[in-house]
Amino acid sequence: MNAALLTEEQNEALQEIANIGMGRAGRSIAGVFDEFVELSVPRVREARLDSLTEAVAGLIPEETLTAVRQGFFGRVRGEVIVVFGMNGCRDLAGLMGYGDSLVAADEDELLLDVANVIVSACLGGIAEQLSTELSVSAPSVLASHVPPAGLFGATREAPDGSGALIVEVNFRLERHSFACSLLMMLPADGVGAIRQALDDFLASF
Amino acid sequence: MDRNESCLSATDRMIDMMDVGVFAVDRELHVRSWNAFMVAHAGKGRREVLGRSIFEVFPELPRSWLQKKFDRVFALGAPSFTSWEQRPWLFRLPHNRPITGGVDCMQQDTRLVPLKNGDGEVALVLVCVFDVTDAAMLQRRLAETVTALEAERAEQQKLIARLAEAQEQLVQSEKLAAIGQLAAGVAHEINNPVGFVMSNFRSLEQYLDGAFALVEAFDRHIDLLPDAARTAIEKLKSDMDYEFVADDARSLVAESRDGLERVKRIVADLRDFSRVGETDWQWASVHGCLDSTLNVVMNEIKYKAQVVKDYGELPQIECMPFQLNQVFLNLLVNAAQAIEGQGSITLRTRAEAEQVVIQIADTGCGMPPDVLRRIFDPFFTTKPVGKGTGLGLSVTHSIIGRHHGSIAVDSTPGQGTTFTLRLPVRQAAAQSTADREVQAA
Ligand SMILES: Nc1ncnc2c1ncn2[C@@H]1O[C@H](COP(=O)(O)OP(=O)(O)OP(=O)(O)O)[C@@H](O)[C@H]1O
Ligand SMILES: [Mg+2]
Repeated sequence: MNAALLTEEQNEALQEIANIGMGRAGRSIAGVFDEFVELSVPRVREARLDSLTEAVAGLIPEETLTAVRQGFFGRVRGEVIVVFGMNGCRDLAGLMGYGDSLVAADEDELLLDVANVIVSACLGGIAEQLSTELSVSAPSVLASHVPPAGLFGATREAPDGSGALIVEVNFRLERHSFACSLLMMLPADGVGAIRQALDDFLASF
Repeated sequence: MDRNESCLSATDRMIDMMDVGVFAVDRELHVRSWNAFMVAHAGKGRREVLGRSIFEVFPELPRSWLQKKFDRVFALGAPSFTSWEQRPWLFRLPHNRPITGGVDCMQQDTRLVPLKNGDGEVALVLVCVFDVTDAAMLQRRLAETVTALEAERAEQQKLIARLAEAQEQLVQSEKLAAIGQLAAGVAHEINNPVGFVMSNFRSLEQYLDGAFALVEAFDRHIDLLPDAARTAIEKLKSDMDYEFVADDARSLVAESRDGLERVKRIVADLRDFSRVGETDWQWASVHGCLDSTLNVVMNEIKYKAQVVKDYGELPQIECMPFQLNQVFLNLLVNAAQAIEGQGSITLRTRAEAEQVVIQIADTGCGMPPDVLRRIFDPFFTTKPVGKGTGLGLSVTHSIIGRHHGSIAVDSTPGQGTTFTLRLPVRQAAAQSTADREVQAA
């Protein structure tokens, strides 16, 4: 990407907002799951849309992944992608009220439910810091049981050079092998709104 | 209709009339509002459901799962969703196609939306039920069509492969037919002159015998001649080396007749080859096939290779002899062509249980693995243009296949190549197994 999407100051502000917001999100998720959640320090970065596969490579060191996407809108618009490794996800069935014998359709629905919880909590945390409200659309499966390189196989080709601002957080449930990564993506062409929101956030001190 | 309908505010009336199912539940999941869509589709009026638990209103709901889902909406203050793709319906509601049918009940997407009070606490959860029956049916029909198309494509691919195979066989049988016609023509053309040359030679032999007998009769009375005449005749005789000529003339004629006999035999073998197209099953001797084929190709082989026969005791086998000739011809010509300078070709035969095993081994150039892998492919040849068509082994392979036999090859570059053929003694047994395989496929 040619020019950075955010100034250094805005970047720091977003990092700060993400830190606090995710901390709050972690607590509400823990409340829902009734379990302690480990959260990585959020990472703010920029990526080109045509190289998303590389951008998410290595987030989850597993051979088969499922990804769920969910749109959000309000003062800022964007999309969140949650990437699940398939190893520990069945551990969550009990927590989410599913029976023990999950069939394939149930497994997708379980991951949609889990993604929805995580996405709602994280967006809620960030929206609170920005003193605004963010709404989410219904989650849908982006790719189910694919190798890491196939996560974005079903998406349209991104226009050349278009990019996104990415806030990335990794989750882990302490007592389970479950792990997932959340990528909150703000498209570069709508970055004016987030800049304004960050400037307002900075001005409020 | 409920009596308090008239007291509804304008907004309430809008929600009421929306073509979406909307109802609200409190923390205990008791119904607090119920719009007209729900009245119409659930078939339950407001008085009937208000204040009652949704698990009473819809006893078939998956209780513990849905309870947890609502709990999360209350706890997180964020909406939750279900989609028809994973869960075709959450509430059992009748669909709108009682006549045209196609689904068991209304396909739906649902949203559980938190409604917060003044303190920011979630007081109610609004349940929205979207009827997506038409879209879902369309989508499923599309998915079925795609599956059907994919199956059809796979079937077509198989047909194309079979077509290619059939075409290959056609090419091969055309080649066989061409060889057959050529051989038939040549055999016919040669047969006539050879026939009269042979009968002429028989006459010639008799005439010569007569002529020599005549000369001998004269010889016995040579003393009766005057000296001068006798000396002249004796000089003539010794100049032409009469004793030798008389002897040689007889053996020349005998040898020529021998040669003609051989020409006749080769022509007969060639005629056999002209019947390669014949696909009659016969009981025949493998050694007979090998020998008559050797006769046909001996000319190509004899200057390069010594032919060693190591024949075992073989039963007759049920086969198409003219096609087996073709197989042996291909293998023998290949073996001879593989030999540069001098070498040998060994023909080994053995009987084994219900099979005969035929090995044709040469001391030729051998083949590297990348050639070996492709030798049975039609048109694969390493020979210069005009010399090889690359069809020999492909034809061989399909003939052996038709005999329910097998062909294996073992080759070492620089040392030589051995082809091993296995043919069943009788076809009935081999065939019925093959037929069963075809039926199973
Ligand atoms: N005995 C052998 N020793 C070495 N190479 C062989 C032998 N037999 C077959 N090959 C290799 O296999 C190739 C294919 O043989 P094939 O008989 O099918 O075709 P061809 O002999 O090249 O042509 P033609 O159609 O005239 O028989 C040959 O070109 C040769 O490279
Ligand atoms: Mg050949």
